[in-house]
Amino acid sequence: MGRFKIGIDVGGTFTDLILYDYSTKKSYVTKVLTTTNEPERAILAGLHDLCKEPKQVSLINHATTIATNALLTRTSIARTALITNHGFRDVLEIGRQRRPEIYNLYTKRPPPLVIRKNRFTVHGRIKSTGEEIEPLDMYEAKQVAQKIVNEKFDSVAIVFLNSYKNDDHEKRMKEIILNMKFLGTISCSNEVNREYKEYERMSTTVVNAVLSPLMSKYLNNLKRSLENSGFNTQIYAMNSDGGINTLSYASKFPISVIESGPAAGVLASRHMANVLSLKKVLTFDMGGTTAKAGAVIDGECDISYEFEVAGKTHSGRSIRGSGYSVRYPFIDLSEVSAGGGTIAWVDNGGALRVGPNSAGSEPGPAAYGKGGKNPTITDANIVLGRINPNHLLGGKMPIYFNLATESINVIAEPLGMNLQDTAEGIIKMVNLNMSKAIMTVSVERGRDPRDYTLIAFGGAGPIHCCDLAEELEINHIIVPTHAGIFSAHGLLVANITRTFSLPVLSTDSSIEPYFDEVRKIASKTMKNEGFHDYLFKEYVDARYSGQSFELRIPYQKSADIKERFSEKHKEIYGYSSNDEIEIVNARVKAVIATSNINRKTSKHTEKELGKPSGYRDVVIKGILGLVPIYSKEELELGRHGEGPAIIEEYDSTLVVNPGWKWEVLDYGVELKR
Amino acid sequence: MRALNKITGQIIRSSLLYASEEMGIALRNASYSPNIKDRMDHSAAIFDPVGRLLAQAEHIPVHLGSLPWGLKKLITASRKCKLPFEEGSMIVANNPYLTGTHLNDVTVVAPIYYEGELLGFAANKAHHSDIGGKVPGSISIDATTLYEEGFILDPEYLMVKNQFVEELLTRFSSQSRMPNERVGDIKAQAAANITGIKRVKKIVSKYGVETFKDASTESFRYSESLTRNRISSLNSGTYSAEDWVERHDGQDIKLKTKLTISDQEIKIDYEGTDKEVDSPLNAVFGVTLSGVYFVVRTLIGDDIPANHGAFAPITVVAPKGTVVNPTFPHPVGGGNVETSQRNADLIYKAFSKAVPEKVPAASGGSMNNVMIGGVQNGKSWAFYETIAVGLGGRKGMDGIDGIHCNMTNTLNTPIEEIERKTPMLIARYEFRVDSSGAGKYRGGLGVIRSFRMTSESTIFTVLADRERHGPYGLFGGNEGEKTLVILKRGNETYKISSKGTFHLKKDDEISICTAGGGGYGLSSERDDQKVMADVDNGLITKAQAEKDYNLRL
Repeated sequence: MGRFKIGIDVGGTFTDLILYDYSTKKSYVTKVLTTTNEPERAILAGLHDLCKEPKQVSLINHATTIATNALLTRTSIARTALITNHGFRDVLEIGRQRRPEIYNLYTKRPPPLVIRKNRFTVHGRIKSTGEEIEPLDMYEAKQVAQKIVNEKFDSVAIVFLNSYKNDDHEKRMKEIILNMKFLGTISCSNEVNREYKEYERMSTTVVNAVLSPLMSKYLNNLKRSLENSGFNTQIYAMNSDGGINTLSYASKFPISVIESGPAAGVLASRHMANVLSLKKVLTFDMGGTTAKAGAVIDGECDISYEFEVAGKTHSGRSIRGSGYSVRYPFIDLSEVSAGGGTIAWVDNGGALRVGPNSAGSEPGPAAYGKGGKNPTITDANIVLGRINPNHLLGGKMPIYFNLATESINVIAEPLGMNLQDTAEGIIKMVNLNMSKAIMTVSVERGRDPRDYTLIAFGGAGPIHCCDLAEELEINHIIVPTHAGIFSAHGLLVANITRTFSLPVLSTDSSIEPYFDEVRKIASKTMKNEGFHDYLFKEYVDARYSGQSFELRIPYQKSADIKERFSEKHKEIYGYSSNDEIEIVNARVKAVIATSNINRKTSKHTEKELGKPSGYRDVVIKGILGLVPIYSKEELELGRHGEGPAIIEEYDSTLVVNPGWKWEVLDYGVELKR
Repeated sequence: MRALNKITGQIIRSSLLYASEEMGIALRNASYSPNIKDRMDHSAAIFDPVGRLLAQAEHIPVHLGSLPWGLKKLITASRKCKLPFEEGSMIVANNPYLTGTHLNDVTVVAPIYYEGELLGFAANKAHHSDIGGKVPGSISIDATTLYEEGFILDPEYLMVKNQFVEELLTRFSSQSRMPNERVGDIKAQAAANITGIKRVKKIVSKYGVETFKDASTESFRYSESLTRNRISSLNSGTYSAEDWVERHDGQDIKLKTKLTISDQEIKIDYEGTDKEVDSPLNAVFGVTLSGVYFVVRTLIGDDIPANHGAFAPITVVAPKGTVVNPTFPHPVGGGNVETSQRNADLIYKAFSKAVPEKVPAASGGSMNNVMIGGVQNGKSWAFYETIAVGLGGRKGMDGIDGIHCNMTNTLNTPIEEIERKTPMLIARYEFRVDSSGAGKYRGGLGVIRSFRMTSESTIFTVLADRERHGPYGLFGGNEGEKTLVILKRGNETYKISSKGTFHLKKDDEISICTAGGGGYGLSSERDDQKVMADVDNGLITKAQAEKDYNLRL
């Protein structure tokens, strides 16, 4: 095995790379600008910078937002045809028949990924029992296939009603197209998402179809360029559910990587929770434009099975019907438009508003002096002294205090408030907005935040963590070292996972035969791809008969499903019932542990009071006072102190409120009260 | 300190909104029936001690005005019934003449006390899928009085001293065809209020009683001033409009309104609207109010916090005894689902003269309710859903094809779920070609949904509208295609009524062809490229393109 393991995260603006050295147990990070048209160029540039010994690399893990961006901008998505049953040409477009925004008369549906003209129908019908009631019309099927070949579509999606029960028609349709020497990619609903409810299955299959050509091309290029540069190692793609998978799997099922970007931060938190034996953790990641909250309980992230890609969100929840529905397991986060660059403004009723618009990284906050005029969260923090008023990034980046002041004054005037009150008002508003995101993943899911540890990271997370913890009555916070790039660690600690499922849809609790079948499929697939040392985790999706929401519970052959389900139902919804339980899906997750990295740990030194590197005027909780400033780099292990305090690090600033005790540990700073 | 209060006020206001949203989520999470869990047919809100709305979560439009209207009436009625709102008690009622919509919507109210002082109320409303009455689902097309639409609950205690009143739970559930579901859902409603109470108390303990009260006053002032501000940008004047709801016996019911915009105020007067009727098309005043608030909100902006102040500049006058303000015990089931849709069309029509650049042409205007049931293998089954329409054309944008309009936004049922759970096969579900109202910006297409029966005997009820009066176009745009219901039996097809109950045999097939949206602007001004694209996509036929747009292809 080589000495290094590498993680690569291709974002919209930056490509982050992280290298872990098994021999020294240290990790190194670099950041380069993303080269949108050929992302592999930036990756190679970053790799050359980070790693001089390609032969020593044992594994590369890769996360990308390419799929999401393709859907958001609708560029480079494949010209796709859809084949479905006669009489059901518009299921894809009608969706669930709701308007994304009820009170907006100019609301829009996202434009269909396959326009009506390219949606073809064929006679033939399967019943819900799987029985064929009308044979597939072979003449029609061949005509449609011929048309698709003649018109040179890049990709085809095949989705027939009730195919989750019997996929015969889908298979035959696929065969017909293949026999005509079709050169594009084919996505069959039964292979992409073998679950019931036709719209969601269709939409998932279509999203897969429009992304397939793009992803296979990109991943092939990436593999080739890496190999040409000497990186002949195993390359994996990060999945939305926090697992990793082979590039060939990602090429065939691009729906698996859509939400892979945000997953990394939660995985890094999960790893930290495991190392520190924390059973209940809430994660808070605040960057330049958004803040994201998640939860890790008993080492498991919150996984949901359905999301909308390229849609809109409203106070931490996604607006249903605004994006493209995808059924694939993903780490469920709550996201709000609140970051360092989020803009504060005054509405025509004279009220202060914060967001959702952001100054982004260009021009960025007014204080950066890059032409931004609008007051942002960062500007408010600077005016209050919470962020260093002279420079950031260890002096690399100048801060223009007067520009921050000017920008805040522009809105202070119409508000009839002074500078400090306005800046504080901005901070309070954005904190409220962000606490909403944390509430969404805690209180709304039946969890009491008081029992949790908050792991706060991202460039702006540590500035606001005490305020948020107080709002939510959390008493324990961990701010990881290098909080600004903490997310990247997630790429190093992911396991190879693959989820297989089979619809059950039965109230009969003897479902072992279903699991036998899924295990068989899973073993076969894993073996075919050359995996051996995997273990299975098994789950069922179940609900009370008549309900339409399922809960996922671990499956054990001997255990009473009913009892386990009732416990879980009570935990989340507050009550259980004696009604019949319906098993919806049997799921088997194959896991191969690859997260074998250790952080460097050292013995705690003698506890000693930390020594401030200076003092400055800071407003914390409405009080202006001289506050000690510490430099994280200069603080040794075991140094401690009490709030109010500011602890500055290269890429982030930690604001410690009064009432909190802080201590430097080897993974970061721990706060307690 | 005055300055800082402004921010505190805003934070309290947002916190109250979050609290009401959290109530809605608690209700949905704990509820039992798909109607609440999946379709989210419920609302939650927080009120001050005199029943003025402080914050309401945006769930469904028909509860927007009816919940606040009902709450005030409910407080008065409860006092009259000698049911004081004591700490730890909750009151339940569903009499639509008190609570504001129809019998299926059950309202549960809880007082919020802080250190012995009444600070307000947490309340919510949820649609219970069956509350007795002559037909499954409780919404019939031919009830002549409220009594035939289910059981009527006047204010009663649901909880006393934090304990459920078991006798009430039993009585409530035993009158429903699905008693277990009723208990689950009503307990979920109580849980939602408990969540609301907890949140409000937390806010008060953080900021103090006086600040909380100041913030409430400030919140009303803020919403009211924003609303007045926005109203003043509309063209003032008096505008009238008429539209129709169709009775199952062939007669039409006229709705008429006079809209006056003046001096930062809006007045809607329904003088001239037809008398209440002995069929379920009466819309209680709460529903009428919701329609007005909904329309105004879509026109002046939904960023205005929905509280008492936001609605203060709006006056609604509906003469007692009319179909938009009926009297007990006139039946109301269809008023909530169909007359409410027409009411929105009516008010939009009036506003179209004042704000032509904002108001769209009429949408399909019906919820197209279907209620189907029978007995299969000795077990009875029932199914209810609503079907999408086409949205009206809008300035600069076509209407959306196949989507819910106006006062509803509930989901369809997956075909694979219907076929698994009921003895029916869905034979067709697609856009209704050529149903769009022509115009510079065309209306959206309606849909066709066909239900084929696979058991020997099924009872099928349709409650739809816009069969005789199509959705209007605006500024020269054409009407959208009217609703059409077709029965196919053997090789014969029959046009049947859009309001009727039909006894079906095996292999019978009913197709609901829903109305298309009206067009906006002259069809002659439509971009040829757009017409051709629609033909290319098979949304309109060549013949129709020729007829509507004079386009030779």
